[in-house]
Amino acid sequence: MESAKKRVCLDVGGTFTDCLVMDASGDLTSFKSATTPNDPSDGLLDTLKKAAANFQQDIKDFMGDVELLVHGTTLATNTLITGKGAKTAMITTEGFRDILEIRRGIKPLDISLFNLFIPPNRPLIPRSRRIGVEERTLFTGEISVPLNENEVAKIVTRFKKSGIEAIAVCFLHSYANGTNERRAADICKEVAPDIYVTTSHETIQVWREFERFNTTAVGAYVGPAVARYLVGLEARLKDSGFEGTLLMMLANGLVQRVDQCVNRGVHLLNSGPAAAPAGAAYLGGLLGKKDLVAVDMGGTSFEVCMIHNGEIMTTTESWVGDQRIAIKMIDLETAGAGGGSVASIDSLGLLKVGPESAAADPGPACYGKGKIPTVTDADLVLGYIPDDYFLGGEMKLDVDHANNSMKSISKKMGVDKIKTAQAIFDSINTTMADEITAISTKRGHDIREFVLVAGGGGGPIHAGFLADYLDIPTVIIPPVAALFSAFGMFAMDLGQDFARSYIARIESANIRDIANLYKEMESEAFETFAVHGVSKKDITLQRTADMRYIGQFMEVETELQNGTLTKKILHAGAEAFSKKHEALYTFSMPWKGVEILTLRLKASADKAPFHLPKIKRGKANPSAALKRKRMAWFQGKRLKTPVYDGALVRAGNKIPGPAIIEESTTTVVIPESYTCRVDGHKNYILTRN
Amino acid sequence: MGKVNVDATTIATVWHGMQTICKEMRYIVDRTAQNYLIAQLHDVSVGIWGADGSTIAVPVGLPVQFLGTQFAVQDLIKKFGDDIKPGDLFLTNDPYHGGHNCHLPDWGFFRPIFYEDELLFFTLCRAHQQDTGGAFPGGYFPDGYDIHAEGICIPPVKVHEEGVEQTSILELIWNNVRWPEGTKIDNYAMIGATKMSEKRIIGLLDRYGKDTVMSCVDEMLKRTERAVRKEIRKIPDGTYHGAAATDDDGSVLDVPVWVRVAVTVKGEKMTLDFDGSDPQQKGFINSVYATTYANAIAAVVLCLDPALADYHNQGTMEPITVRTPEESVVNCVYPATTGASPVNVGVQVMEAVLEACSKARPDRSVASWGKHRGDYVFAVDPRTGERYVRTSFDYDGGAGAVWGYDGYQGVSCLTAMGAVNRGDVEEMEARLPWHLIKYEMVTDFTGNGRWRGGPGVHWEALNEGTDGQVSTGSSDGDEVMGFGAVGGGASPQSRTYLVRNGEKIRLKPHRRVVIKNGDIMLKHSSGGGGVGDPAKRDPHMVQEDVENELVSIKEAKSVYKVAINPNTLEVDMAKTKKLRANIRKKNKTKKRSAA
Repeated sequence: MESAKKRVCLDVGGTFTDCLVMDASGDLTSFKSATTPNDPSDGLLDTLKKAAANFQQDIKDFMGDVELLVHGTTLATNTLITGKGAKTAMITTEGFRDILEIRRGIKPLDISLFNLFIPPNRPLIPRSRRIGVEERTLFTGEISVPLNENEVAKIVTRFKKSGIEAIAVCFLHSYANGTNERRAADICKEVAPDIYVTTSHETIQVWREFERFNTTAVGAYVGPAVARYLVGLEARLKDSGFEGTLLMMLANGLVQRVDQCVNRGVHLLNSGPAAAPAGAAYLGGLLGKKDLVAVDMGGTSFEVCMIHNGEIMTTTESWVGDQRIAIKMIDLETAGAGGGSVASIDSLGLLKVGPESAAADPGPACYGKGKIPTVTDADLVLGYIPDDYFLGGEMKLDVDHANNSMKSISKKMGVDKIKTAQAIFDSINTTMADEITAISTKRGHDIREFVLVAGGGGGPIHAGFLADYLDIPTVIIPPVAALFSAFGMFAMDLGQDFARSYIARIESANIRDIANLYKEMESEAFETFAVHGVSKKDITLQRTADMRYIGQFMEVETELQNGTLTKKILHAGAEAFSKKHEALYTFSMPWKGVEILTLRLKASADKAPFHLPKIKRGKANPSAALKRKRMAWFQGKRLKTPVYDGALVRAGNKIPGPAIIEESTTTVVIPESYTCRVDGHKNYILTRN
Repeated sequence: MGKVNVDATTIATVWHGMQTICKEMRYIVDRTAQNYLIAQLHDVSVGIWGADGSTIAVPVGLPVQFLGTQFAVQDLIKKFGDDIKPGDLFLTNDPYHGGHNCHLPDWGFFRPIFYEDELLFFTLCRAHQQDTGGAFPGGYFPDGYDIHAEGICIPPVKVHEEGVEQTSILELIWNNVRWPEGTKIDNYAMIGATKMSEKRIIGLLDRYGKDTVMSCVDEMLKRTERAVRKEIRKIPDGTYHGAAATDDDGSVLDVPVWVRVAVTVKGEKMTLDFDGSDPQQKGFINSVYATTYANAIAAVVLCLDPALADYHNQGTMEPITVRTPEESVVNCVYPATTGASPVNVGVQVMEAVLEACSKARPDRSVASWGKHRGDYVFAVDPRTGERYVRTSFDYDGGAGAVWGYDGYQGVSCLTAMGAVNRGDVEEMEARLPWHLIKYEMVTDFTGNGRWRGGPGVHWEALNEGTDGQVSTGSSDGDEVMGFGAVGGGASPQSRTYLVRNGEKIRLKPHRRVVIKNGDIMLKHSSGGGGVGDPAKRDPHMVQEDVENELVSIKEAKSVYKVAINPNTLEVDMAKTKKLRANIRKKNKTKKRSAA
């Protein structure tokens, strides 16, 4: 039954579990179920059962057909953010037990300098469970004090008695020599085989202890929950007849076999949102565009990331909630802006929308339970979204409730409900636009040269207006926008990142040492891929080095040529660094020497070929798809706006704004200044008039 | 300027845009500077001012570096008048001669921002340089003869004229500092930030139009002012006193120097009168008016409604008057030395105002923070043969408590208000010939209270470099303790020692001595002051502190009146009730006898 083979992408979010199934003909079908927070694999299997039913198969037959299942999950992020991680302890270098708590004196990033009325830092591992042991490694890698093994064994015995579930082993300079950490971890496993153990040098082999220790602590904290979930999920999938490959979506935008993820919990942070940019890159590729900004506007948050010259931007400087994470992650900026974002009047009498969200409960006023106005209520009052076709008609929206909710703040603003809704709508758009501008400036790009790719339930409603505000000429809205992350997983490369600290000036760098470190990482990569059954020739390797001018503190990741490393290649890298520096920060200093801090290797294998289904061609005139007309507000004018049925549009249709297209999972709003063209895959391409 | 009516959404948008620009300015400096203090520890301030000097956006920085900058902008306009042109760039570090700067290491680049040939804004990037010349490296050494001994004094000068770098002026300046090449990198980083700011502000003007943007700014200042006046009105009319001292001035040793303030609230106005503060000193702790002003305003701001925290600007300052006696330690005149003033007496200015404000609004009490334990070591790194200066905030204690919360851990130096960061141990060991022995929080070493100060810190490191010198510069708090508020305990005394051949040599603040290879530097930096009666602290919070070894069982009992079972570490509720009842009885008797 080769022809029945299917591929499935599953994104388990906070509220919904999204599922996309691609059958042998290449058609994508989407399914959504409520997420089950207690055991997310329940909701996941519910969704798969829905899918099976749709294909008129029983779950065993359906799952037997699935050759590849790619899975993104919010589990690690949620475990961290809701504080429901393992009872975690730390074994660290004696005299340095407070690195996590002092945390370089950094206050929460979103708190104003002028506000001291905040609770103190509560580290994931409290002080009573952070224990120092006799040991010391120097920055040269030399061990100046050997590990006191007896002491470690005693501590672990104590941890075991007090019900510790995870241990982070974090020693100074372990990036230069991991011997002591490894030995301590072995003792942990000998004394307490049931406790989850991680070490800092295996989490991320890079210097700077606060960043490394904190990442390791987060890994230990979310690790047991992630491991339990993954092991359980694998078994349940197997029981349901699944014999294919299960790949997990990682923070760095690559996918990895599940058995490689069980003990690397921290890499599952942002799994899900990290898939979106790959989807955007794929869609951009259809139009031949390589400079893209991908946005995903959901119920509570807005995520944005940049793709420059086809390359998805990553960073090692992320914060997730109040935790610093130093592994390489997709460079996502997140803002508290979504359909559920709540509007209020602040201490200066100004309108404030978000970051608080009405979330799923009570939800926007128009869901019938809440009274506070949200962005979705504004969308409804302005006529952008239908009250009778939300989630394809599964849910009826209450216009009266939405109107009433506006009144609570329109009085304070001294305007009517329409102007209030318009202000909420504009305000959330500028919040998102500022976020986009901030990330593009940080990266040294002019946003007007980028194509906006919009996903999430709210993205298609707001994207046209965002683009108008930012002077972005082109917007792509895929028909699967509401399941954007799941869609991105189809477009994902298989791969892993590797890193080694190597600190030297370009002039005096030892070519052989560097070459050996790359070789070491490359053989690790080959080994990992061999497990996946990927042969050497199908692996793409990309070497980079983090460089800076001598004396600077922050590095810029710069590409290095593959093959036999030579002085010439290294110097070419340094020149490329100078160019990048100029582009990013308005100046460069070619007269200054360059040094290397970290060597990196990205190993990836191409995804299997993947095509979006095609739709029928039609005329330019879209009137055959016209569903109705509805009053909606554009730029303060109340206009009778044509509403098109997403199920009936044809390739080649040209829809001038203002107009609305109703899809079952989202609504596309085309502002007056844009015209929408429907392409052969039913992507909506908005172009500025 | 055309007046247009602007709606609340546009105001908020323009406002947010300007805040974002400032944050991006610091980001550029972070990414590109080479000086540890600037790039890693954030000893840098950025902001936007109006063409008349009014403070518009100051979200990231240190109060001393930018809350008094209106005076510098006003004098810049006075000095250069019509000679300010697009593409110009000014540099100054001078506390006097129109620079209104706190001390010489903090260099500030000012860029005027024009739109359609009209001067609308100034943007500033000010940062602490690695060196600024003078008798010793680093700029934080006591007992200089006068301000010229402390370094090169740069009055406001043009270093770019209409976009053209005035290289000879910059070279003259750079030639007068140690590490000119590093300073050059940092200066370019700072200039890059001002350039970005200009580009982005012009983008804002293009998008909304000049009249709208200017009206939004105007409206923001007005709204903030109204809100702050309302806050002041909530304070009962009256005069509230505060006082604080630094251990000495670094020249006349072991004689504390006092800052005193009377905060008078009348209706919606507040006057901070520093009359009674000590006269200008020979030592390096003298503060110019703009510095005192900046610290005093910052202290008041901390005691206002935290919901206003994101909005402070010129409007905040309008209802507040800061008076200082001429030729005093809080308003010194040329050629007084000012090297340590951002910290001492900067901290004392803030402490005195906070003490007074905590009396005025106990529910907004802010206790003093652990004092800065900073030093400058200058010696040679034997690994490279290069000279180095080591300084940081790593060895400071923690913040003071506020009403409702314990002090934040690890944030350092009250006048930096947590804007500066600490380094990583690994980075320090790789960069400098110092080996860390211990870097941990300490038991029973912070101000107690219903809310206690952030914990004190033990910092200990071995000098593996050459012999050299150490200046304990702006360290403070060996003698004079920081205040606790509303019955909270004071921030305890701190200590620094050099351990040489096993012998502990006490090293007081504001001194300069020889340091030898093999010496261990040992610092005990206390945590901040407490807020409220410690006997009213939640017993479970005390228990948690005992578990975490931040409070001993002994102190739990003697100070917090909480009995902890030493075997189980549980609270003995019956005993605790008894302990606490006893004090209530004692207090009652005390009150009665006082009556």
